[in-house]
Amino acid sequence: MSWEYLLGVMKPMLEGAQTTIFLFLLAIIVSVPLGFGVTLLMKSRFNPLAWIAHTYVYVMRGTPLMLQLLFFCFGLPLLPGVGEYLVFDRFTAAALAFILNYGAYFAEIFRGGLLSIDKGQHEAAQVLGLSKWQTMTKVIIPQMFRVALPATANESISLIKDTALLYAVAVPELLHYAQAAVNRDFRLTPFLIAAIMYLLMTMVLTFFFKALEKRYTFE
Amino acid sequence: MTHIIEVNQLRKSFGTLDVLKQVSFNVEPGEVIAVIGPSGSGKSTMLRSLIHLEDISGGTIRIQGQALAENGSYAGAADIRKITDRMGMVFQHFNLFPHLTVQANLELAPKTLKKESSAIIRQRSLELLGKVGLSDKADAYPANLSGGQKQRVAIARALMMQPEILLFDEPTSALDPELTGEVLRVIKQLAQENMTMMIVTHEMSFARDVADRVFFMDNGEIAEAGTPEQIFGNAKLSRTRTFLQRVEVEG
Repeated sequence: MSWEYLLGVMKPMLEGAQTTIFLFLLAIIVSVPLGFGVTLLMKSRFNPLAWIAHTYVYVMRGTPLMLQLLFFCFGLPLLPGVGEYLVFDRFTAAALAFILNYGAYFAEIFRGGLLSIDKGQHEAAQVLGLSKWQTMTKVIIPQMFRVALPATANESISLIKDTALLYAVAVPELLHYAQAAVNRDFRLTPFLIAAIMYLLMTMVLTFFFKALEKRYTFE
Repeated sequence: MTHIIEVNQLRKSFGTLDVLKQVSFNVEPGEVIAVIGPSGSGKSTMLRSLIHLEDISGGTIRIQGQALAENGSYAGAADIRKITDRMGMVFQHFNLFPHLTVQANLELAPKTLKKESSAIIRQRSLELLGKVGLSDKADAYPANLSGGQKQRVAIARALMMQPEILLFDEPTSALDPELTGEVLRVIKQLAQENMTMMIVTHEMSFARDVADRVFFMDNGEIAEAGTPEQIFGNAKLSRTRTFLQRVEVEG
């Protein structure tokens, strides 16, 4: 096996990795705030909103991500009436599925974070004269994010790996090019290279979240 | 002269259970009231309803003559805020903000409410940390403090709002016995400075020492009230005497 061969295989894979990383960043940047919004809706006193939020989480967590991916890429255009307005390019449709799926998981993570905060924190803020909004933004939410950090790290590592599902809807990404090279050359090396690339990405994430956890350890 | 706290026929019930039944009392400016009694007697509920941490079922609460609650319902949000602005509370479990340093705990509320310049706020927070003997802990996080230190920070935090009334809900109950002294000393100093205080406590010797009057609560009512000498030396009711005997044996 020559260096030329390795470089030749890696070039398209690195291009594919760009798609992987782009999808990851897009999904995480949108699904974290989305999840937080859904958490607040689940706690809303206006019942219809809370009900919608709970249903959304139930459906997105209760069905396979692969099914959701296929639905957004191939199912949406088939919807009667509105289907013709819901034709997106594959990447956009897939990104939508990832965002909605991960948004549901983040919503549950943040809800757990909120639940972990003692009601004494609300009471202390109240007797100091803070409004509900000030209590949320200055006291509750910073603590909630800290509690949610390890689970968020976990989810983000899952997300990096789940991007490989793009393979199923034929959006070329890292795994797609690895598989193509394996088929073409009858060699395992491209799989090995793909594995190393995923490991590198998860390593960066692991370090990033470790640093974040350390930065937000209040001792 | 108006009473600083005036409570009339305060009532609270959960279903058929009466947590508070017809509690009435007045507190005068500068008075220190110790509230004692068995657990479940409604001491904490009574105290917490004075600062709108509980819903009530009936009765009137007036703070400096202004109605915080009338006929069982609290005033509007703006009035509640205005009235409770002059009150502070210290909790059994401190309830410090764990994500903020000691100094930031003190400064969070005044800085958020923006009624004073941050220079003034800063000056007062350092001054109060000195007062509770924790100047060297300004940059520490609550997680690194002992229970006694946490409670002293909580007292300083309450004092930041310059309250005219301070409520203490079992301020030493969560502390190791050897740490209660440092907290009680701070409260005693406040008493000497004529702060109006109501203190729910199980520390009988402290109550005797620092209180102007003692309320003995039992079964959702103030069964007996009087000076420490009356309550501890010469209680009228046998249930007061029984309670005091029991805690003395246990304590």
